[in-house]
Amino acid sequence: MSEALQDPSFPPQNIDAPEAALAVRGLDFYYGEKQALKSINMDFRKQSVTAMIGPSGCGKSTLLRIFNRMYDLYPGQKATGSVLFDGANILDPSLDLNTLRSRIGMVFQKPTPFPMSIYDNIAFGVRLHEKLSRSELDGRVEDALTRVALWKEVRDRLKEPATGMSGGQQQRLCIARSIATKPEVLLLDEPTSALDPISTARIEELLDELKQDFTIAIVTHNMQQAARCADQVGFFYLGSLIEMDSADRMFTNPRQKQTQDYITGRFG
Amino acid sequence: MPTDSLHTVKSYEQELDRMRAMMARMGGIVESQVAQAVAAVTEHDEDAAQAAPAQDPQVDLLERDVEALAIRLLALRSPMAGDLREIVAALKITGDLERIGDYAASIARRSQRFDLADRQISLSGLRSMGRLVQENLRRVIDAVTQQDDDRALEVWQADREVDEYYTAMFRELVTYMMEDPRNISPCTHLLFIAKNFERIGDHTTNIAERVYYAVTGDNLPAVRPRGGLSNGEDVVSR
Repeated sequence: MSEALQDPSFPPQNIDAPEAALAVRGLDFYYGEKQALKSINMDFRKQSVTAMIGPSGCGKSTLLRIFNRMYDLYPGQKATGSVLFDGANILDPSLDLNTLRSRIGMVFQKPTPFPMSIYDNIAFGVRLHEKLSRSELDGRVEDALTRVALWKEVRDRLKEPATGMSGGQQQRLCIARSIATKPEVLLLDEPTSALDPISTARIEELLDELKQDFTIAIVTHNMQQAARCADQVGFFYLGSLIEMDSADRMFTNPRQKQTQDYITGRFG
Repeated sequence: MPTDSLHTVKSYEQELDRMRAMMARMGGIVESQVAQAVAAVTEHDEDAAQAAPAQDPQVDLLERDVEALAIRLLALRSPMAGDLREIVAALKITGDLERIGDYAASIARRSQRFDLADRQISLSGLRSMGRLVQENLRRVIDAVTQQDDDRALEVWQADREVDEYYTAMFRELVTYMMEDPRNISPCTHLLFIAKNFERIGDHTTNIAERVYYAVTGDNLPAVRPRGGLSNGEDVVSR
């Protein structure tokens, strides 16, 4: 087990729902004066994929960014309420952000490889949090690349710059980089919107495998992607969680008219 | 859940409308086939007896067209929720309608194969049964075109009466046959006709179930109210 996982700042206690990795309770979020999220209550179950859907500006990406405290980077942004993660409130200012971000990984819309070698892209984050021997680190890099089905493609060019890879490979590299630090939660913000269908299918397949070990939260504009990948789906509109249910239920028989109109393409 | 909003993509809305229009047309033809079958049997109307089977190819063609359009919608539009349920229901409803058309044609053809002259056989039961079946079908087709789950539920419950008619018909026709062996031939035909009306009732019920699911997203109970013992076996053994 990594040192990060043994960090005493995350005492495993008082978790709200036993199977929830993240439990959002009464969450409000503001960009300055503008309220972007309104009293959100939502559970992200362990070992499952939760998708967030909704029109642009509905707050779904904002929610994702709260989970690893990205908003801390911007003055004027404020979150109230609580997001329970392993017994601790993520919003608590005293929380160690480095540890938090090693336990909650994030992958963005566009691939963001570091301007360094393929190997170092993976090793970089691991080195920050753990002291591993060379052979252990090699093993960790190989394992991460294997899990994203990239190992065979890049094993002979690990020292080459990551920026020379294709878009789909770069995105898989970013996922490998996120999982190399052994997080518990993986956040994906439209991870395939810049990819071709084959790379998209590979990443969707990957999500299916990764959920055995991680809790996955994905924001997507692609309804079919949410239908294909997600176990639970939450529909957001104007900063509110309108409806949350199993993907099955949401896409065959949603309870709310707004959800029905959105997913059937009748919005606005 | 019914929705009054329109699709942002107009051509999607148009294709769904086209599918609904084809269903309505198919429903209308099948309805007229059943009306012709009832007239052929109860009024010995020869024109009606020929008209019902003559419409069969048109019904078959519409079934294929609806199917092709539904497959196209599934492949190209990736329908969700209410749209998905409506399209899947349409696929199944056209199957039921096509079967109903077949039964109606079969009844119409059979009506010309026996003669009730100088036989003391009353057709009043069959007439009532045929009219009830016809009325239920008309109502279920209205439910299809108006996406009306309440009406679908009414039709679903009303099939009990059709079953009761069938059981009564069965007893009545067996009684005629026991009274006089010369009744056996025509009554056997009438028995098949009654059975076919009963089957039309069952398909009508299926359609009601599909409409209910398409509109509400919920299934009606697996077991529906049944009237009589619609196989009639008990009558024979007594």
